[in-house]
Amino acid sequence: MHIRMDDQDIFVSTGGRDFDPAGDVLLFIHGSGQSHLSWLLQARFFANRGWSVLAPDLPGHNLSGGEPLESIEEMADWCAALLDALGVKKAVVIGHSQGGLIALETARRHPDRTRKLAVIGSAHAIPVADPLLDMARDAEGKAFRFMVSWSHGTEGHRHDHTVPGQSHLLFGNKVMGRNKPGVLLTDLLACNSYKAGKDAAAAISCPALLILADRDRMVPKKFGLELSEMLTDSRVVVIPDAGHFLQSEKSVETNAALRPFFLE
Amino acid sequence: MTDYKFDTLSLHAGQSPDDRHGSRAVPIHQTTSYLFDSTEQASALFNMEVGGHIYSRLTNPTVAVLEQRLAALDGGVAAVAVSSGMAALFLTVLSLTSQGDHIVASSQMYGANINLFQHTLGRYGITASFVAPNDPAAIRNAIQPNTKMVFGEVIGNPGMDVMDVPAVAEITRKAGIPLVIDGTFNTPWLFKPIEHGANIVIHSLTKWMGGHGVALGGGIIDGGNFDWGQNDKFPTLTEPHFAFQNVNLWEEFGPLAFSTRVRTEGMYNIGPCLAPMNAFHLLQGIETLPLRMQRHMENTSRLLEFLTSHEQVSWVRHPLLADHPDHDVAARLMPKGAGSIIAIGVKGGREGGRAFIENVELASHLANVGDAKTLVIHPGSTTHSHLDEKAMRAAGLTDDLVRISVGLEDIDDIIADMNTGLKAAARATGSR
Repeated sequence: MHIRMDDQDIFVSTGGRDFDPAGDVLLFIHGSGQSHLSWLLQARFFANRGWSVLAPDLPGHNLSGGEPLESIEEMADWCAALLDALGVKKAVVIGHSQGGLIALETARRHPDRTRKLAVIGSAHAIPVADPLLDMARDAEGKAFRFMVSWSHGTEGHRHDHTVPGQSHLLFGNKVMGRNKPGVLLTDLLACNSYKAGKDAAAAISCPALLILADRDRMVPKKFGLELSEMLTDSRVVVIPDAGHFLQSEKSVETNAALRPFFLE
Repeated sequence: MTDYKFDTLSLHAGQSPDDRHGSRAVPIHQTTSYLFDSTEQASALFNMEVGGHIYSRLTNPTVAVLEQRLAALDGGVAAVAVSSGMAALFLTVLSLTSQGDHIVASSQMYGANINLFQHTLGRYGITASFVAPNDPAAIRNAIQPNTKMVFGEVIGNPGMDVMDVPAVAEITRKAGIPLVIDGTFNTPWLFKPIEHGANIVIHSLTKWMGGHGVALGGGIIDGGNFDWGQNDKFPTLTEPHFAFQNVNLWEEFGPLAFSTRVRTEGMYNIGPCLAPMNAFHLLQGIETLPLRMQRHMENTSRLLEFLTSHEQVSWVRHPLLADHPDHDVAARLMPKGAGSIIAIGVKGGREGGRAFIENVELASHLANVGDAKTLVIHPGSTTHSHLDEKAMRAAGLTDDLVRISVGLEDIDDIIADMNTGLKAAARATGSR
C-alpha cells in the first residue's frame, strides 16, 4: 500500500493482504541498500497466517519517495512515525542487518511501541570496512555484486532456490539496483556511525530473538551472540550453512524460528 | 566463496546434490503432482507464500533445476522453462500484451515467429510491424504509442543479420518498453543480451543449448531490469492480478514481476509445460555447452575458409566474413564467434541447392539447427515455404540459399562431405 509521510509517498508491503492496524502487527525493517523485497518470503507467509504485516521501503528506497535517512536513530524514529501514521499501537519489530540496528534502536527509543524484538543477521554494531565504503561511493554496482555474493552461502551460489526458477544472487543484485544512486552509501555510513547498540541492548526489556547465520561473512555470528549476551531476555537460533541473507536463502528455517516467537 | 564462472555454472547451477539418496546427477522427477504435508502447507503453496511444487504444469523439481541454470547462465533473476521455443515466445507476448497492443519485430526471423505475429496474434487484435533487425533507426521509427515490446534475434535466421543489441536497448529504454531477445542462435556462451540492456531473453533450448537433438524445450529468462511501473503500458504487471488476492505483481515482487506473471498466468491458464525427461536431457546438453560452442566456432571458422574459396559456391554469408554488413557489430558483440550457421548460395539456383542437399552424406537434411551433428536444409522449400514472396525477400531468402548448421564432427570430414555435395550440384546443373 502507498501512504503519505512527511509529504512523501511511502510504499509498504502488507504481504498481499489488507492491513488491520488493530491486529497483531509485524514490522519488518530491511537492511542497507535493500527494500521490502528482501522480505518476500516472510511478508506473504505471515500475512496469510493472520498477522498484520508491514514491510516498508524506507525513505528513498525502491518505491518510496524522499531521501534516505542518515542515521539509525532517525530511522528508528521514522519507524515509530510509520506506526503512528497507520494507527498502530504496538508491533513486533523485526530487522535484518542494518534493519536489526534500527529494530534495536526502535525498541530502546520507543519501548511502548515495541512488543517484541527479532534481529536477523545483525549485531549491536556493524562497522563497515573502508574498502566497501569506497566501493559504494565510487563503483556502486560493484558494491552490489560484492555484498550480494558475500551475503549468500552454498545454495545461493549454486543458484538453488526454494522458489522454482529463481536465482538468489541475480535477484539480490537487481533489488539493490532498484534504489536511487547513493542510497547504499548513505545506509552504510549510517551503520558505520551507529555506536549506541550496547546501551540500547542494556535498556531493552522486551523479549528478543536473534536468528544468526552460521556462515555469515557480512556480520559474523559471533557479534550477534555478543548482542544476545547484552540483552535481558533473549534467545538465539543459529541456522547452519546459511549466509547473511538467510531470510531468503533459508526462508523455511527463518520462518520456523520466527513463528513460535510471534505466537508466544 | 566467489561467484562461479560460466563453465562451472553450466555444470552445477540450479542443483544441490540430493541429500536423501546422494544422487549426483539431476534426478528425473517423473510425477504429475506432489504430496502436501498439511492443508496449511497446501494453501501456502497455492498462495505463493513458500517455495515448492504443486503440479507439474506449474513447476517440477527437475524442470526447476533447468530454469535456475538458465537464469544463472543468462544473468536473469528467474527463468521459466516451457515445452518449446515457440511456447516461450507466446507466453512472453501473452504476459505483456492485450488486445489493441502492437509489437515491433524483426523481419529476418524464423517463419513461425512471423506467422505468430502476423496471423495468429492478429486474430486477437495484437498487431506487429516488421523491421530489419540491423537498422536501429527503423526500429525506433516503428515504435508506436501502443507498442509494448521490441522483439528480435541477436543472429537472424537464416540471413545472419546481427542486431546491435546495446543500440536497440537504448531505443527501447527511452521508449519505456522492453527489449525481448531470442538468444537461440548465440546462446549465453557467445552473448548475454541482458548484460547489454535487453530485458527478457527467450530460447529454443532444442538447438545449441541442448545440442543433441533429442528433446524439445524452451526457456524464458527474466532480466529483472525493467521498471514496469514507469508508465501505464503494462497493466498485466502493475494492476491487480486476478490471482493471489489481486496482487500488484510489480509492487509486490519487483524484479520478479514478469516471470511471476508468466508462471501464474501462462503456465497456469495455458500450460505449455516441459516434460521432466526433456528437462533432464536438456540439462545433460547444457553441461557441455561451453565445450561444444568452442568446437562449433572452430569448425565454423574452418568451413568458412573452405566455402569462400570453392568455385561452386556463388556467395557465403556469415557475420565473421568481412563482407557481411553486420561484421563489425558481430565482432564487437560476439568476440568468441558469431554462431555456427552458414548460408551459402549454390551455383545453379534452386536445382543446384537441391542437388547439394541430396548428395551430402554425412550432413543430415532436416528442419533443425544447433545439433551436435552437421545439418543442411533449403529454407525456401521447407522452413520458410509458407511465406509469400514479399515476406521471403524481406527475410533475406533466395532460391539458391542453403543453410548449414555446422556440427562437431571432425572438420576434415565435414569439408569432404560439403565438397561431395558441391561437386554433385555442379554435375546436376552443368555449372562448372
